[in-house]
Amino acid sequence: MSDRPAPWLAIARYEAAGRARGSAVLTGLLSAFLLLFLAFYPSLATSGIDLDAYVEAFPPAFQEAFGIISISTIEGFLAVEFYQFAWLLLVGLYLAYLGGGTIAGDVASGRMDLTLSAAVPRRDVVVGQFIGLWSLIFLLNLILPIVAYAGVLAVGETIAIERLVAVHALAVPYHLCCVALGIAVSTIFSREGIAQRVALGALFALFMLESVAAASEYDWIGWVSPTAHYDPSAVLVLAEYDFTGAGVLLAAAIGLILLAAIRFGRMDLTG
Amino acid sequence: MPAIDCQSLTKYYGDVCGIEDVSFAVEDGEVFGFLGPNGAGKTTAIRTLLGFLSPTSGGATLLGHDVTDPTQLRRARERIGYLPGDPGLDTDRTAKAFLDHQAALRGSAQRDELVARFGLDESRRIGDLSRGNRQKVALVAAFMHEPELLLLDEPTSGLDPLLQEEFAALVRERVENGTTVLLSSHVLGEVAALCDRVGVIREGRLVAVESVEALRSRGGKQVRVRVAENVSREAFEVRGTMNLRVGETVSFTWTGEYDALIDLLDGFTVHDLEIVDAPLEKAFMTFYDGDVQTMGETRGAVTDGGSVTDGDERLRGRR
Repeated sequence: MSDRPAPWLAIARYEAAGRARGSAVLTGLLSAFLLLFLAFYPSLATSGIDLDAYVEAFPPAFQEAFGIISISTIEGFLAVEFYQFAWLLLVGLYLAYLGGGTIAGDVASGRMDLTLSAAVPRRDVVVGQFIGLWSLIFLLNLILPIVAYAGVLAVGETIAIERLVAVHALAVPYHLCCVALGIAVSTIFSREGIAQRVALGALFALFMLESVAAASEYDWIGWVSPTAHYDPSAVLVLAEYDFTGAGVLLAAAIGLILLAAIRFGRMDLTG
Repeated sequence: MPAIDCQSLTKYYGDVCGIEDVSFAVEDGEVFGFLGPNGAGKTTAIRTLLGFLSPTSGGATLLGHDVTDPTQLRRARERIGYLPGDPGLDTDRTAKAFLDHQAALRGSAQRDELVARFGLDESRRIGDLSRGNRQKVALVAAFMHEPELLLLDEPTSGLDPLLQEEFAALVRERVENGTTVLLSSHVLGEVAALCDRVGVIREGRLVAVESVEALRSRGGKQVRVRVAENVSREAFEVRGTMNLRVGETVSFTWTGEYDALIDLLDGFTVHDLEIVDAPLEKAFMTFYDGDVQTMGETRGAVTDGGSVTDGDERLRGRR
């Protein structure tokens, strides 16, 4: 038995392999999406419209939600049009959705029975499922900065590589936290579809809460949202790197996985 | 120490009873069958034993390990093979990828041999396999690490008769090598062919545990006799006959002693006589004809064969 990998590692490998194709497709689609937006930039930059004046007229909550600091520079444009929307919101929500499907999906389909009929500790299932989603997060955050850099050069602009690297490096803790939130939700609801929707809805609700609270005197409430600790606009436009936020997100991810492991360790497998 | 020792195991889903007060023991090397209709609690019992469900009350040991202690149960599961009734397989993965994964989790000393034996094409996507072939994948996963204890929930559902035979042969080989088996089924023939003893589950309760032999004898003998004389129905309506049909031949189920049957036939000139075991279904159905009270009485004698006589008495008494 000694030549067998640890159960968490076996589960992580199997899950990652099962997601390989989907991960590649998602990376391709998001790359295309990014390049599409970048293709708009030259006409926008030369149009002579004062976009910053335009976006300043937006309500504060809206500016907060879309992380609008500046939109007229390539950094600001990328931040608003792609990172704030696709990276923070879309990818975040999708990862929470995937996380929501992990435990609940396996329990409901009976796959968990087969896994746990081997000598697998339940915490290894939670950890394995979590790590199984890492490859998607790493793939996205490795490929997209390269695509973004090439795209920026292609439209005749330049961008500081350091900022581009930072916006993706700091996205990793945020994305890990989104997955962890989904997995935690996945141990609470017994039906896959419900767990997925609740995980997605919870992250979206936290995002909305943060956006609205930031424009009010109760801005501290927004601190509970993972989206408050990753600000692509600040990274790209102002070169402000929130390492504390990254730490908070990592700690939250670990905490959520621990909670999920405790909860899953006790629950009945009823789909 | 029995391979499975189940003590008053009870599982409620909220207010709904899954199983209640289920007690039985399966000795090392024994093949024990759970018999009961769908929804009777067979799967709940097996899943509670495996720790997928925590018992509401009562407990059990598998291979000497307490199933309510996760660490102990994990040690037991190292040596257990489990085949679920409706195996949850990843339909978008190949059989090979799935079995590789299962092998990483539990070992695979006999994988190649089993794959060859069941003629499984590992390269195909599980979603493209027929129901029977999917069942083969789950079978290989359950048997490939040479488990000491097999928990098989409706193992032959979806297998064609030829494969059912192959499966039965595999189980018999393993039993010869000392493996203990708990098998659930609603197919009586399967249980009769493989098991030493049968536990009948009804509405979450283990209503009787019998040896297959006892179950057979409880079913009585199917008698067909052709005699020279014209017979009246009354002549055969004696203690011991059931389901009497009088025509050119006389047929009935005989639940009494052989001597009494011979005495009965002594009054006739017998031209042809056939005595065979009554189909097991008949014996089985006695557990399902609503006589809960009597079933409860036989529960006391669960682990020894003494209840057989009681059962026979009951059959006679009811007529």
